[in-house]
Amino acid sequence: MIDVENLCKDYVLKSKEPGLKGAMKGLVKPNHKIIHAVKDLSFHIDTGEIVGFIGPNGAGKSTTIKMMSGILTPTQGQVLIDGRNISKHRKEVVKDIGVVFGQRSQLNWDLRLGESFELLKHIYQINQKEYDKILDELDQILGIKELLDKPVRQMSLGQRVKGDLVASMIHSPKVLFLDEPTIGLDVSAKYALRKFIKEINKVRHTTVILTTHDLGDIQELCERLIVINNGVLMEDGNLSEIVDRIAPYKTLVVEYYDEVAPEHTRCKLIAQDGNVAKYRFMKNDVTAAEIIADLSKEKTIKDVSIEETGIDDIIKIVYGA
Amino acid sequence: MLKKYLYVIKTQIIRSMAYEFNVYGNIIMQTIIMITSAYFWRALYKGQTMVGDVDVDSMLTYVIMSSILSVLFITNVERRIQNSVEKGTVATDLMKPINVFGVYFAEDIGNIIALVFQNILPIFIIGSLMIKLPTMANPKDIPLFIISVIESFLINWLVAALFGMIAFTAVNIDALIQVKKHLLRLLSGSIIPIWFFPVGVQKVLEGLPFVYIYQLPLSIYIGKGSSVEYLSQMRIQFIWLVVLSVVFFFVQNKVIRKVMVQGG
Amino acid sequence: MVRFFKELGHYLDVTVHVIKMAFMTIIEYPSNIAGWLISNPLQFIMGFAIIKFVVESFGQINGWTYGQLAFLYGLSVISHALSMIFFVQGWFMGYFVIEGEFDRYLTRPLGVLYQFFFTNINIFGITDLIPGILVFIYGCVKCHVVVSPLFVIQIIIMLVGATFIRGGIYILLGSTSFHTRSAVDFGQYTQEIMDKTTMYPLSMYPESMQFILTYLIPIGWVSFYPVSSLLGVEAKFSGLVIPFVTLAVGFIVMLIAGAYFNFGLRKYESAGN
Repeated sequence: MIDVENLCKDYVLKSKEPGLKGAMKGLVKPNHKIIHAVKDLSFHIDTGEIVGFIGPNGAGKSTTIKMMSGILTPTQGQVLIDGRNISKHRKEVVKDIGVVFGQRSQLNWDLRLGESFELLKHIYQINQKEYDKILDELDQILGIKELLDKPVRQMSLGQRVKGDLVASMIHSPKVLFLDEPTIGLDVSAKYALRKFIKEINKVRHTTVILTTHDLGDIQELCERLIVINNGVLMEDGNLSEIVDRIAPYKTLVVEYYDEVAPEHTRCKLIAQDGNVAKYRFMKNDVTAAEIIADLSKEKTIKDVSIEETGIDDIIKIVYGA
Repeated sequence: MLKKYLYVIKTQIIRSMAYEFNVYGNIIMQTIIMITSAYFWRALYKGQTMVGDVDVDSMLTYVIMSSILSVLFITNVERRIQNSVEKGTVATDLMKPINVFGVYFAEDIGNIIALVFQNILPIFIIGSLMIKLPTMANPKDIPLFIISVIESFLINWLVAALFGMIAFTAVNIDALIQVKKHLLRLLSGSIIPIWFFPVGVQKVLEGLPFVYIYQLPLSIYIGKGSSVEYLSQMRIQFIWLVVLSVVFFFVQNKVIRKVMVQGG
Repeated sequence: MVRFFKELGHYLDVTVHVIKMAFMTIIEYPSNIAGWLISNPLQFIMGFAIIKFVVESFGQINGWTYGQLAFLYGLSVISHALSMIFFVQGWFMGYFVIEGEFDRYLTRPLGVLYQFFFTNINIFGITDLIPGILVFIYGCVKCHVVVSPLFVIQIIIMLVGATFIRGGIYILLGSTSFHTRSAVDFGQYTQEIMDKTTMYPLSMYPESMQFILTYLIPIGWVSFYPVSSLLGVEAKFSGLVIPFVTLAVGFIVMLIAGAYFNFGLRKYESAGN
């Protein structure tokens, strides 16, 4: 479905020195610096996948998704959608993609929501029958029809996001790109958005590619993660695989009756707070049961629990924080 | 208190200098306009030495100095007011311990200081080289010229601010800003001095504030008229300045009260 | 060929719909209409009066009578109005570049430049058209122009060409912002230069400037050459073909502008990087 081959993107950045003197200097002799935002990225995405792009701010994930959707022209390399290069055959290829970009709406602010959809109907040359059908279908997931006559400027952010989701799917694209779709949304709007993505993926087999900072999005939606940092692909695989590879350990939390926590040779005491001690152990080396058995020989245990390594730990590790 | 405004001025100077392209683009555009205007007047004066008591040399000086004044009279206050109303930050802006209109004024001043180096100096040099050296007709009138320019600047700023305040009535002021721009362009003598207009029209325009923004200081500069005439016109200019200031403070207080009551 | 007409049909269909939406938007904000209805005609009526004052003070302008100047001025304002309707967005291209507003056009299956201009079509430009037409009719009467079908065709052809020349220049200037990444808008300056060079006879300017404005930045073809040929005043170029030259020049300027725009678009950086 999508092939990304040796993708690179450079930006020219004008750097400015601070203060009045710096401003004067910039006027006479501006400083240019080349930033390599994306460096030699390659991967393949199959039809029907939901892929999450994660990485810190400025890691190059927005730049990547913008190149994949035809907005930015790559400095080098290419993006093929169904075998066609999107920057060379933009008008053809974009018929197969839908785009929702965070806070940038494609709805007409001044008019009722329905007008924005009508315009898209003309732009994508959708006939009335198809149009009614898709609108019915999307209405069942999102309940959009009650909003059709409302001017967009009077809508809440959650309602606008619904509008934008419908706008992005109205021409039944094969691929849907979402850049930070849940930013600023309340819980119910987030829920609606995730449900929408899951539904269209299941029913229409739409391939979904999203960038996000929201761990909930990733856990709920993404079977596959692509982790980018400094414009380089750090990890690519499904969530549990990546967790196993980057953080192949779990944390055992033990509560004793006093503040003296015993050590154990096959795990590491990483933290202690009052009666509670935390042990980290490698998953493939030892089981929690063995450790608990050993520890209970030395001290009386009041309570135990196990902390799985979550996606947030992964992100912390990858981001180097 | 003054220190705060000085800080705003300094920040604005830096901000104005941040875009070298804007700077050079503006200089090029203004130079083209100025040179076109100079040729325009030369062509009109072909075969005539004096029209409306002014010769072609004085008219060319008028063109160069008008270009320079137009840089001095760039205001941003109306846009700033409009943005603050549209984005709904009016209430918080007005509650700040520093007068927001004072901030806008300081920003405009900062902008102009940046423009002295960026535009006014280049325009003066280019104009002197390519058109003529814009020398003042009667150097003894320099004090009058400077005072009248300062008053012009203030009148221009007050007119802009008052047009901006219309935004508080929730009307989109884009069109009104255009109206103001056209009135200023055509009725202030900035492009064509109103002494070329019929006497009746001149009389009407002398009753409006616009001619006191451009034409009065420019007339003093090229020496059209006598010191007595200048003084009598500057009296009207001063009256306009007082009237507009009173209106401005009146409207400002009304606006603040209205926003306080409605909470923006 | 069939594909071409299908494509053309598609664009026409979208255009009609977009114009419909523009009217709906106007109706949505009725208070704006009054402002533009006053602002734009005011500007040109005053401008026209000032030309009259200048002519009265100086006798004539480079051998042109007041009636001929009205004819020239009227046509210039009409093409200005048309360029305001279709191409005024070019003035604000810098803003679109900086704010990443081209994203949405790039992800839709239509030409980017087409979407940029037509989804933002400025119906209010019509308010410039009215004073232009009035002054033009006044000029026609004063010059005792015989209105024949041929005359009408010539006028329409030259107006299309003139609008393209203006639009092309806006695009060229606007497209510089892809490289400068600056939101500055030179619209006001552009208009001031255009006013001086299209509303008055170009022949009043020195040879060197006329050369530039004829061959390099072909503003002379917007109004001066076609009008001087139509009225037979100072006709440096004359003949029935002149309005078509304006049209051809318009196409060439547009082609160059389009190419420069597309070149710039490759350097488009969107927003928030």
